[in-house]
Amino acid sequence: MLRLLALLLAVCLAGPAIAQSSVVKTDNVRTELLAEVSQVKPGEPFWVALRQTIKPHWHTYWKNPGDSGLPTEIAWTLPAGAKADPIVWPAPTLIDVSGVINYGFQDDILLLVRITPPADVTGTLALKADANWLVCDDVCIPEEGKLALDLPVGAAATPADAATRALFDKARRAVPVESPWPARFGLAKSGDPTLLVDAKGLKPGTIRDVYFFPAEWGPVASMAKQSASVTAEGIRIPLKKGDAKATTAPASIAGTLVLTEKTGDGEQRQAFDVVAKLDPAFVPGPAPLAAVDGSESLTLVQALLFALLGGLILNLMPCVFPVLAMKAAAFARLAGHERSAMRRDGLAYTAGVLVAFGAMAAVVIAIRASLGEVNWGFQFQSPIFSLLVAYLFFVVGLNLAGVFEVGSRFVGVGQGLTARNGTTGAFFTGVLAVVVATPCTAPFMAAALGFALAQPAPQTLAVLLAMGFGLALPYLALSMTPALQRLMPRPGPWMDRMRQFLAFPMWASAVWMIWVLTQQTGPDGVIYALGGMILIAFAIWLLRFGSAGTLGAWLRRGLAASAVLLALAAVFKLQDSPATAASASGGPSSGVSFDGWERFSRARMTEAAAAGKPVFVDFTAAWCITCLVNERVALETPGARRAFEQTGTVKLKGDWTNRDPEITSVLKELGRAGVPLYLYWAPGAERPKILPQVLTEAAIVSELQAKR
Amino acid sequence: MSNVIVPRRVLLLGSAAVALAPMSAFATGDVGKPAPAFSATDSSGKTWSLAELKGKVVVLETTNQDCPYVRKHYNSTNMQTQQREAAARGVVWFTVASSAPGEQGFVTAAQANELTQKRNAAPAAFLLDPQSRIARAYGATVTPHMYVIDASGTLVYRGGIDSIPSSNVADVPKATQYVRVALDQVLAGKPVAEASTRPYGCTLKYGSNA
Repeated sequence: MLRLLALLLAVCLAGPAIAQSSVVKTDNVRTELLAEVSQVKPGEPFWVALRQTIKPHWHTYWKNPGDSGLPTEIAWTLPAGAKADPIVWPAPTLIDVSGVINYGFQDDILLLVRITPPADVTGTLALKADANWLVCDDVCIPEEGKLALDLPVGAAATPADAATRALFDKARRAVPVESPWPARFGLAKSGDPTLLVDAKGLKPGTIRDVYFFPAEWGPVASMAKQSASVTAEGIRIPLKKGDAKATTAPASIAGTLVLTEKTGDGEQRQAFDVVAKLDPAFVPGPAPLAAVDGSESLTLVQALLFALLGGLILNLMPCVFPVLAMKAAAFARLAGHERSAMRRDGLAYTAGVLVAFGAMAAVVIAIRASLGEVNWGFQFQSPIFSLLVAYLFFVVGLNLAGVFEVGSRFVGVGQGLTARNGTTGAFFTGVLAVVVATPCTAPFMAAALGFALAQPAPQTLAVLLAMGFGLALPYLALSMTPALQRLMPRPGPWMDRMRQFLAFPMWASAVWMIWVLTQQTGPDGVIYALGGMILIAFAIWLLRFGSAGTLGAWLRRGLAASAVLLALAAVFKLQDSPATAASASGGPSSGVSFDGWERFSRARMTEAAAAGKPVFVDFTAAWCITCLVNERVALETPGARRAFEQTGTVKLKGDWTNRDPEITSVLKELGRAGVPLYLYWAPGAERPKILPQVLTEAAIVSELQAKR
Repeated sequence: MSNVIVPRRVLLLGSAAVALAPMSAFATGDVGKPAPAFSATDSSGKTWSLAELKGKVVVLETTNQDCPYVRKHYNSTNMQTQQREAAARGVVWFTVASSAPGEQGFVTAAQANELTQKRNAAPAAFLLDPQSRIARAYGATVTPHMYVIDASGTLVYRGGIDSIPSSNVADVPKATQYVRVALDQVLAGKPVAEASTRPYGCTLKYGSNA
């Protein structure tokens, strides 16, 4: 009742008695009519604003008020010949009233209106605005105000005072701008639209929040949350259809896209007006991949635990094995030494691993900051990296085989075997272990990495360090625990043989790296890599003999240096190689066999799944050992092939050997940072199931034949 | 605490599920589908169940006596008139108070009866829905939010009471009365032409535990 009285009072106060007032105070809103000019020029449009200063916690409404509410309206009374354009709305905010979603404004807003005065106006331009608005907290009150503003007319327009102009400037910044990106939408079978905004080149890590405010009630529901995904390719926002009972699909969906971007100066809210056209060819999948079964959403603590476990298990994976074998041999040699030496060695190794992981985290963070996208194993998508690692493996192999010994001033890699320089050596063995470990993923690692790569810098670093700690842990534990040390074999001549033997797995690794390289660059890579290795071997041979200081020694050194430089020059050759360009753009790589498999595309996957067929997707890469092992032992066995055939499963293979934006975006949606990744859509399933990263034939067969 | 679930992208993955949780409260009550079942006690203590009303056309009207939009339609007697028309045609009209206790629009049985008398209203029954069960089942967001259920139990209309979203009584005669039109069509055995319209009114007071 009181409110009604107040309302009546407010209406009366704003009535004709004080018609000149440009300010109206109601219970919950102070309303003011402002002009950006203090003097009007006839015929020249200018801006006015209805300023609403709203009581704390209360809100007024946007042009589409959402689930409830009504937009503010202004009815103008203007002199003949004058014109008022529609309200230019600022971008709204989302207000959730116990689950009822409202689009509106809080605190202080300006609704901008452009006024065109008549060309023949003289004296004073009288503006009268009858405004009405609904203002709500948990209760709603319709309010209204009659506002008037008289502006003098003169030969030239005069700007209003600086404070008023500042208000208008601020208001304009809150108005959405025309979207610079084309947008389209597709309708799922359910009728739910999915919006695609072709915003290429966004940095996903810097976008904190995405929301699409539909411009009108009807085609799109007001949602509490929208599960938008931002990739470098653009923004994808699955929406829910609205309540409008339309017989035909809407041809376009309009609205305001609000992105909250993290910048150097804090968070910036950017609003864009978007009109998306219906794309009949785009039929969103039955369910967003995001809703996949078994997709992990981790807490930081879980991610750290998974990282630690993953790091531990990484010790058992084939890629790290040669390095670890070296480490084991080094340990055996140290067995007779003092505890402190053991401890130092263990700590140095751990430090090496952690520093390498830290450096990797730094690289990841730096790349993400500049490119917005980073994936695990990304370095293996670069042929240069493959080549350098191949060289490294080769040189370490030579060292192990005893072709050369590394002097103490020559901090060589993998030098942990020379007891003399144990600590530094142990450190670099740690670094080496990390370098070779990256192509492998172990169980638990995928989820942790997916988490880490999507996180702000401190979390990324923490997760990667946890992983490194896991990798180093067994040796650290060994070095710290005399009881465990006693289990190690006694040192003896066997150690030299062991060391020489270890050269072979190293070289095998080098061969594998060269093979990876050829997948990236084509057959030419072999020439450069093997040629480079000969040059390096030659350089080492040159350095082996002669005494220091003589002219001959200097000559040999010069020659060796040129040989090494020449070997490294292959890097530039690789960069220029057209084969690189072709493969980098997603061309086929022969390292991944498509025999019996279809090439993966998102469209093919969703289409086959929507048709009710079982679909198996294998995301793999030539450099991913775990992937190759899985293919050999689980996917390409006669039993698995038979099961695939009998069940009529559509087999799709995504090759991620080189950068592939489509696969990257799928991985990202699933919270994964790399391959392997296996998806299985049971017949008629709404969403795929993520299978474990380490597969067995039995697991595949039983998965395929479940529900049959 | 350790449960820092800030991972935005990971959160986005999860948010499909997260989004479904609040959505489920409002996602049902689709036009053309069987109307969600409910059973509720009215202001005189009688229990009504939608299932027992098969064969009858049913209207649901969410109410909140202090909402200006509800008052618009009661002060103009638009609501009461339509309630009487419906009763005369054998339609069961429920006025439903779904505000949570402590929220605007919450009424006890006695207050509901008093309200009906004061407003000179004529619903078949004034249903008490303090836990907002009916409102949730039908996805009601405002008061008044209107629903028409046909004799076979199918929801055939949801939306506003009329076509002019304002709190101004003077707009009532100018507006298309959607519910009246829908009832005409349903009772004539025709499909409802405008089966879903934009509801307008005050936000339904689900209460903070919604």
